[in-house]
Amino acid sequence: MKRGNEATNSHFPKAYYYLQRNYTLQCLKIAFIMVTLPSDMDRRELKAYAFLLPSILLAAVFAFYPLARSIIGSFLTVSQSGRILGIAGLGNYISLLHDPAFISSIGNTVAFTIPFLLLNTSITLLAAALTRKETRGTSIAESIFIAPLAFSLSALALIFRGIFRGSVSIASRITGLDIAWLEEPVSAMAVLVLMGVFLDFALDYILLLSSFRSIDRSILEAAEIDGASGSRIFLSIELPAAASMLHTTIFIALKDAVLISAPVMVLTGGGPFRSTETVMYYYYLEAFRSGNRAVGTTIATLMVLSSAVIMSLVMRRRRNG
Amino acid sequence: MKIGKTLAAVLAMLLSAALIHAGGSSETGTVTIWHSNSGAVGNAFEEIIDEFNRTIGKENGITVESIYQGAANDVLTKVKATANADISSLPDIAQLDATAALDMMNSDYLILPDELGLDTSMIMPSAIESLMSERGLLALPFNASSLLFYYNRTLFDSLSLAPPETLDDFTAIAPLLGEKDSSGRITRYAFAGVPATYELCAFIGAQNGLSYLVDEENGHLGTPRRVLFGEEGTFRNFLVHWKALCDTGYVSNITNDISTEFAAGRTATMLASSSNLSTVMSKVGGRFEVGTAFVPKTDSAATGGVNIGGGAMFAFSEREDVKTVLGYLVSEEVQLEWAEKTGYMPVNTGLYDSPEYIAFLDSHPQFAVAMAQTEASNPKVTGAWLPSAYQLYYSFQTEIRNVTEKGKDIDEAVADMEAAVQKALDDYAAQNLNQH
Repeated sequence: MKRGNEATNSHFPKAYYYLQRNYTLQCLKIAFIMVTLPSDMDRRELKAYAFLLPSILLAAVFAFYPLARSIIGSFLTVSQSGRILGIAGLGNYISLLHDPAFISSIGNTVAFTIPFLLLNTSITLLAAALTRKETRGTSIAESIFIAPLAFSLSALALIFRGIFRGSVSIASRITGLDIAWLEEPVSAMAVLVLMGVFLDFALDYILLLSSFRSIDRSILEAAEIDGASGSRIFLSIELPAAASMLHTTIFIALKDAVLISAPVMVLTGGGPFRSTETVMYYYYLEAFRSGNRAVGTTIATLMVLSSAVIMSLVMRRRRNG
Repeated sequence: MKIGKTLAAVLAMLLSAALIHAGGSSETGTVTIWHSNSGAVGNAFEEIIDEFNRTIGKENGITVESIYQGAANDVLTKVKATANADISSLPDIAQLDATAALDMMNSDYLILPDELGLDTSMIMPSAIESLMSERGLLALPFNASSLLFYYNRTLFDSLSLAPPETLDDFTAIAPLLGEKDSSGRITRYAFAGVPATYELCAFIGAQNGLSYLVDEENGHLGTPRRVLFGEEGTFRNFLVHWKALCDTGYVSNITNDISTEFAAGRTATMLASSSNLSTVMSKVGGRFEVGTAFVPKTDSAATGGVNIGGGAMFAFSEREDVKTVLGYLVSEEVQLEWAEKTGYMPVNTGLYDSPEYIAFLDSHPQFAVAMAQTEASNPKVTGAWLPSAYQLYYSFQTEIRNVTEKGKDIDEAVADMEAAVQKALDDYAAQNLNQH
């Protein structure tokens, strides 16, 4: 169940990653080289392509081929067992966009993404900023902050379930609130966001911390000698230096948020009342539980398209500074 | 150099042989069962399988390998995925529930009990009815259960109340069952839970003596094409009475861990499958007396009773040893042990006059209610075989909550629910019907 889901989840980011790097062109180029062998090719260039070949093959088999099949499949009517029954044209898209459950899954994904991005970015940045100067005590804080990396996602989701289960839960005891956390749409979403932050925290923290620590010390020392205050140094030198890494972590978080499904599956099952059913979880339900292959490929195609649009927008922004 | 090459070739062959072996399915003599029994029920199931492997299995050279694959719906997801990928990797037997029936009915890999030559004459008639399809009996009933009304008997007795017979009765006593503390916060609800497909099969199915959610007798006579609960007004009728109950303010709309709330005394009643009985009783642990009763009727004309739920053993292999295992699972001894340890109703009618079973029911009156309720029910009241069962389950809960909590108009909720089910039926028909 889980394996299938993860495999399909992960080929989307990979797909546009490879597209971005123009691997199609490279593929064509290699094919061309093969045909024109052994004439006057530069041997060194040939060697470089030979080294690239395995990853290009992998990309072709695990990214391009499934992607092409998904796109084609989204215009067909397909039976549960995978037999093509006819051409649906835009029918799959029209019916999907008229499904209130799909529309609300988009809303749920947005409702997850916005607080998740804000919280995740501010908390990881805060933690990295506070521990950026290496002193005797920071290694303890560092190991605590990195610890979530060692947790398995499913195990963590089960622990969260245990903590927030029912109205007589550990969480209610600690906070003193009488809330059945996973029974109310708003609080269930809050728990999901919290868990999302917990899952992404360690990696983002490591990236940001390493970025802070790689700043040339002589610049910081020069600023200090010039009498700049700690906060002035942080705001004018350290933060701008880490900005590009911050972009990266925001981008990873955005990708994780848009594609979130496994934590939903284990923590809430999309409930209560389908309020935490995200787009990718809806996709899983339709494609794998119900066997609606056409719906699955249609969502897959829409997701790749929207990811490609977001990706190119972000890229353009980054290029323009 | 040459030795190295030979060695490499041998290694390669060994590795590929190992790969081929790993991919192959069970050899004869091993019967694989994918099941969905966990907790106390899972332990009881494992004991039954161990018993087989020690006795009949040993004599006949058969080993049963039982693999827990998650909830019944997870087992179905895995069976379908496996069948699509590689039919030879299917288990010999899978324990599935009503949500699987439609897919199994339309699959080409299912082996019917008739094709296996199994004798089903001693199986409980309403359990047979619950799995009867246009192709005949789909699977061998194994764990039969029904919806049951659980109540805190100690509380009911202290208030001199009897379990409600109709939802209107329930509405009348709900304020007595509930309790508030000095600040007005509810400390005990009269009822906890939000009905979904399973409960609605009973609440709607019982109306006017017999009603269906969808056509083709809830999909048993063929793939359903049309929603009936809208035009027949049965869902609306249910919502009207259910809303009245919720309007008392003593219904908690929770959807998880309801039995924990019940055991903690935070709700006076709940609806759950009879198969949960032993688990609920051990959770309560004697803090109060657990009572079970018939499910309250939607109104006094809703006399159809409840349908048989639970699960059955679906076979994907025609081998003789599979037949032996299935025969064992529905034998009197196994069904008696199974019923005593779980709360499932024994499917073997031979047990019904067995002194041992009667003695058990006498000493555990809660276990007798499910049987009595089934006997009092119309056997044609059946579970609905719906596609996209998982999504529709949540859609029903969402619409009910929209009505009871958010003040959504009942007719609008019925229309939206009707549209959701109709869409699932249409999608399923488009994908599966022109194959035949």
